[in-house]
Amino acid sequence: MQNQDGQPAEPETETISSLPTSEVNDWANYRDDEVMQQHSAIQAEEAGKIPFVGDKEPLSSLAEEYKSGNPILLEKIKVLTEQYAAIRRTRGDGNCFFRSFMFAYLEHILESQDRAEIDRITVNVEQCRKTLLSLGYAEFTFEDFFSLFLEQLESVLSGKEACISHEELVQRSRDQSVSDYVVMFFRFITSGEIRKRLEFYEPFIQGLSNTSVEQFCKSSVEPMGEESDHVHITALSDALGVPIRIVYLDRSHDDKGSVSVNHHDFTPAAHEVTDANTGGAVALEPFITLLYRPGHYDILYPK
Amino acid sequence: MQASRARLFKEYKEVQREKAADPDIQLVCDDSNIFKWTALVKGPSETPYEGGVFQLAFTVPEHYPLQPPQVRFLTKIFHPNVHFKTGEICLDILKNAWSPAWTLQSVCRAIIALMGHPEPDSPLNCDSGNLLRSGDIRGYQSMARMYTRLAAMPKKQ
Repeated sequence: MQNQDGQPAEPETETISSLPTSEVNDWANYRDDEVMQQHSAIQAEEAGKIPFVGDKEPLSSLAEEYKSGNPILLEKIKVLTEQYAAIRRTRGDGNCFFRSFMFAYLEHILESQDRAEIDRITVNVEQCRKTLLSLGYAEFTFEDFFSLFLEQLESVLSGKEACISHEELVQRSRDQSVSDYVVMFFRFITSGEIRKRLEFYEPFIQGLSNTSVEQFCKSSVEPMGEESDHVHITALSDALGVPIRIVYLDRSHDDKGSVSVNHHDFTPAAHEVTDANTGGAVALEPFITLLYRPGHYDILYPK
Repeated sequence: MQASRARLFKEYKEVQREKAADPDIQLVCDDSNIFKWTALVKGPSETPYEGGVFQLAFTVPEHYPLQPPQVRFLTKIFHPNVHFKTGEICLDILKNAWSPAWTLQSVCRAIIALMGHPEPDSPLNCDSGNLLRSGDIRGYQSMARMYTRLAAMPKKQ
């Protein structure tokens, strides 16, 4: 207080009267598109840390990550090491399940050169296209995503034109204009399958989010960045006829304190073959294995 | 860029083809820039916006349709989810619930639906939101109707 001679503290009143209004103006001018810009800036910063699809790493890198962490997890990683050799990380941007599936599937085709599998999945993709049309989707809204995926399929098979190398596949999976389009393709497929089999999925979806199937697809399947749950995985696996193994790495353990690593195979109904001797259904061994840690999926490579 | 241009061109053709199907929406692409669109939408009946015609401005981003278009009202409107000064719209599909399954045309339909079903719990226009939240439906409707007459209807001579 410098003004002790009775004069009003002018600078101070000025500060008091001007500060709140300028703050209000700031907030009023703080527009949603700026919020979105900031949001994408944060995403870009994250992108610098890990690409959409990382390099293949030995499983020891996973143990390293939990070095001073939970002993149950460390014990489980030890168990994992007996069966699995390597991990390929994906970015945790909410698309990690679809992105992991994309890379694991295309890599499998590239390495196996399985023409029959491409022919088989192409039939399923065509079926999905019809499903979306019958659900009322305008074709021009999804056709670009479909054709981009089919292009990627052809490009990993040699014989036709130039087959891309493994390195090129990694590059494409890191290129947003390819990678995000394929992720979006899977989101369309998943949404179409869920809505087609509404009665089947309804109870699961109500248990998860207490919304209608349509609302769930619109808000939790179709938008990029929305995380996947077992509903998404079941639907994608069913629609494309591709079995998927998910290995769970979490802190669960039994009462005696001994650990085992659980996995669950998502086996599409149409993919079960009948055993000639017993007549029972035999599930085919999945060629895609993903590692699930609460909130995130990466690709796992068996020994 | 190329992908978004191709997609917008498809939307353009679709708009031309379906012109008659949606008489409440008139969506027009800028002559020289396919990333700029404007729309005229009719205020839905049995709402305070009935009889008004509202102009929307679309700015389409480079990564469309993976990213949503930016849309705002050019016509002044009194609505809880529209910023009174900037015309910015608070609508989930223009933000985190966007997906490429939406089109510029269906966004217009969603905005018309929002006009008829305001969400006062996420207000951009607090005065409007507060009227609705305090149950003063009449107050909200008369304010909204007044601005519709002032800003969204042709001036009577």
